[in-house]
Amino acid sequence: MYDSRSMLILLSQVFIFAVLAMSYDILLGYTGIVSFGHAMFFGIGAYTVGVFMKRFEPETSYFLLAVLVTILLTAVVSYFVGLLTLRLKSHFYAMLTMAFAGLFLVLAEKWRTVTYGNDGFTFRVPDFLKDRTDFYLICLASMVIVFILLKRFTNSPLGRVLQAIRENEQRTESLGYSVLQYKVIASVVSGVIAGIAGILYAVSLRFVNTSVFTMDITLDALLMTIIGGVGTLVGAIIGAGIIEFSHHWLTALAKVHWIFERWIIFFGIIYILAVMFFPQGIVGSLQKLKFRKKKTTAVPVDSETISQGDS
Amino acid sequence: MNTLLKLDQVETFIGQYHILQGISFEVPKGEVTVLLGRNGAGKTTTLRTIMGLNPAAKGSVQFKGEEIKSLPTFTIANKGIGYVPEDQGIFAGLTVEENIKVAVKKENDETRQRLDWILELFPDLKKFWKKPGGLLSGGQKQMLSIARAYVNDNELLLIDEPSKGLAPIIVEKVMESIQQMKDKTTIILVEQNFMMASTIGDSFYIIDDGRTVSNGSMNLLREDEEMRRKYLGIA
Amino acid sequence: MDVLINLSLNGLATGMLIFLLAAGLTLIFGLMDVLNFAHGGLFAWGAYSGIWIYSSTGSFFAGIIGAILTGMILGIVTERWIIKPVYGNHVQQILITLGLMLVLSEMLKVVWGPNQISAATPDYLSGSWEFGGIIIIKYRVFIIAVGFAVFLAVQYLLKKTKIGLVVRAGVMNKEMVQSLGVNIQRVFMFVFMIGAGMAALGGMLLGPYSGVIYADMGMEFAILAFIVVVIGGMGSFTGSVMAAILVGLSGSFMAYYVPDLALAANMLLMAVVLIFRPQGLFGAKG
Repeated sequence: MYDSRSMLILLSQVFIFAVLAMSYDILLGYTGIVSFGHAMFFGIGAYTVGVFMKRFEPETSYFLLAVLVTILLTAVVSYFVGLLTLRLKSHFYAMLTMAFAGLFLVLAEKWRTVTYGNDGFTFRVPDFLKDRTDFYLICLASMVIVFILLKRFTNSPLGRVLQAIRENEQRTESLGYSVLQYKVIASVVSGVIAGIAGILYAVSLRFVNTSVFTMDITLDALLMTIIGGVGTLVGAIIGAGIIEFSHHWLTALAKVHWIFERWIIFFGIIYILAVMFFPQGIVGSLQKLKFRKKKTTAVPVDSETISQGDS
Repeated sequence: MNTLLKLDQVETFIGQYHILQGISFEVPKGEVTVLLGRNGAGKTTTLRTIMGLNPAAKGSVQFKGEEIKSLPTFTIANKGIGYVPEDQGIFAGLTVEENIKVAVKKENDETRQRLDWILELFPDLKKFWKKPGGLLSGGQKQMLSIARAYVNDNELLLIDEPSKGLAPIIVEKVMESIQQMKDKTTIILVEQNFMMASTIGDSFYIIDDGRTVSNGSMNLLREDEEMRRKYLGIA
Repeated sequence: MDVLINLSLNGLATGMLIFLLAAGLTLIFGLMDVLNFAHGGLFAWGAYSGIWIYSSTGSFFAGIIGAILTGMILGIVTERWIIKPVYGNHVQQILITLGLMLVLSEMLKVVWGPNQISAATPDYLSGSWEFGGIIIIKYRVFIIAVGFAVFLAVQYLLKKTKIGLVVRAGVMNKEMVQSLGVNIQRVFMFVFMIGAGMAALGGMLLGPYSGVIYADMGMEFAILAFIVVVIGGMGSFTGSVMAAILVGLSGSFMAYYVPDLALAANMLLMAVVLIFRPQGLFGAKG
C-alpha cells in the first residue's frame, strides 16, 4: 500500500500544512479575524527561498539568509496590511485581504524575470535538506516547535487579550486595550509563521510557481482549521492530517471512480456543516462536551442595538 | 377585558447583562400607564421586550390574554401594538409620505381618517410630505414617529421618551396629541419628564435596577414627594 | 475614433455584467448585513445552466430564462439553508458563504466536467453593424441593453412598489421595519432571490461574449463585483451601477493601453476607497 518513502513525504506535507493551519488558527481561532489573503505570506516564504536558492548558491548560509528575509518580509507586509485593514469591519477585511493576495498573485505572474511567471522554476537545496528522512525530521521539529511557541503565546497575557477580542471586541476596547494594535500583533505572528510554512513547502517540492499565492492555499488553511477545531492549535494539526491524508487517498481512488477527483466537495460540505453546527470543530466540540456553556439566540437587529442599552 | 397587557416577572438579558430582573405590571385598557425611573433602570428595554426586539428570557408577557413572549417582532406588531422608539426610528432617506406608507397595513377609509386626523394635529408633516425624513427637526421627527404608530388602528402604543431633547413648546404639542389619542387607544409611556408624565398619566410604575418597585395612580405620585425623590431623583 | 468607441462599448458591456453581479451583492449587504462570498458561484451556475439549456433546446431565450430561474432557486436555497442558520454572526457567515462558493464551483465540475465549455452567440446577435466606417459588435449592444433594462426594472421595483419601499426602509433600519409589522425574513428571501437571479443572468450573458465558460469564472468576476460594491457604496443600488460602469470602462481602456496594470489598478482603487472613504463614493452605509 505505502512504501515508507511516500509515507515520509506525505507526513512531511502534513507537518508543513499543520504549521500553516496553526498560523491561521491564531488569526481565526484565537483573535476571531477572518483573513482570505493568508496565501500572501505562504507565497512570500516559498518564493523567497526559491529565489535565493536559484539566484545564489544552494548553500546553508543562503538558506538561512532566505529564512531571515522571509521573516522580515512577512512581518513588514503583515504589519502594514494589518494596520491599514484591521480597523475595518470583518466583511471589508475579508475582501481586502482577498484582493491583496490577488495582487501578489498578479505580481508573481507578471514579474517573470524573478518568478518565471506561471510556469515557476525548480531549484536545488542545501545538502542538509536533501535527505528525505532528515527533511521529514526537520518538518516534524518545526511543527512541534511552532506548536510549543504558539501555545505559550496564546497562554501569555497578550494571547489572552486576543481571545478577549474574539469574544467581545467592544468590551475589550472599553476595558482600555487598543484592539487594533493587538490585532496587528496577531496578524504579524500569523504572517511570519505562514511564511515559514511556505519555505518548507517550496523546499519539499524543490519547485515554486504562482500556485502558492492562490486562494486554494487559503482555503486549505481554512478547511483544516475549521474541521480540526478553531482556537485549539491541536485542531489545526489534526485538520491538516485529515485533509492531507484524504487528499492522498481520495485522489488515488479517483482511478476507481472519477467522483473521487472531486473529493474537496466532501470537505466543503463538512466544512459548511461544521461552521453551522460545530464552529468549534472536532477538538472544540469534544472540549465543549466536557464544559457546558449557555448560548443566546440571535434576532435580526442592527449592531447599534447592543450599545443602545436602556433608559 | 380590562387588562390589555400584562407582564409577570419578566427577565431580559442583553448579551450577558441581566438588564431586566423582574418586571411585573398590568396595563388597563384605555389608560395611559407611565413607566418611570432613572437612567439605566431598564425602561426602554422593557418596551423592547414587549415588542420582541430583546426577547424575555423568563417570565410572561400577555397581550389580550395571549402569551406573546416568544413571538417574532413583526407578529407582535401585527397583533395591534405600535412602537415609537427613543430615537424615533425615522427612515431618513425616505420621505414623510413614504415613512408612513411603510407602516400602513390596510389602505381603507378608516386608515385614511386616522391619517387625516393626525395630520391635522401635526400640520408640519403635511408641509414636509414629500421631503426626506432626515431633514426634519427633532420635534417633527417625533411627530412623524407618533403618526406612524397611530395610523393603523393599534390597540396599544408604546411610546419611549417622546419629550427627550425637545423644546418645551413642542413638548406641549406632543403631550396634547397623546392626550387626544387617549380615548382611541391604550398607551404605555416611558418618560423622565415628570411634569409631562404626571399631567397625562393615569397610573404609574417605577422601575429601578431592572425591577418594578412601586406603582399606583398618578395622584399618589403627585402628592408623595418622598417617593418622587427616592426613585426619580426629583422633588 | 473607432478604437475609442469600441473600447467604450466593451467597457460598458463589461460594466453591465459586473453591475448584474454587484447589484445583488450590494442590496443583500445593505439589507441583511450579509456579504455573500458565494455570489460568484451563482454567476457561474447561471452561465452553465443557461448555456446547457441553450445548446439543448437551441433557444437562446430559453437559456436566459433558465439561467435566471436557476439563479433564483439557488438563491432561495442559499438564503434559507445556508445564511439564515448563521444570521447575526459575521464570522460564521463569511466563512460559510466562502465554503458554499467552493462547493458550488466544484459541483459545476461534477455535473459538467472540469473542462472549459465553449459558448457561442446566437446567429441573430452575432456579427456587427457598420456605421460610417465604425464597426459595432451586436452582442455588446445587446448586453448593454439587457443590463439597462434590468436596471430600470429594479429601480422601478425599489421606488414604486411597496416591497421596494420596504427594502429601502430595511436598508436604513431593519428593526424599525419589523416593529412596523413587516416580516423581514420574507423580504430577505425576496432580495436574495432577485440578486441571485441577476447574478445568474450576468453569467449567462458573459458566456457567449467571452466564448468559453469554466468553473472558476465566478470567482474572478466576484472579485470585480466586490471592488464595485465597495467603490459604489455598500447598500447603494445606484452606486453599484455607477461604479460598475466606471470599473468596466477603466478596465477596458487600461487593458488596451496598459494591460499589466488593469487588475492591479482596480484592486488598489478598492483598497484606497476602503481605507479612506469606506462608505463608498455614493454609499448609504459605512
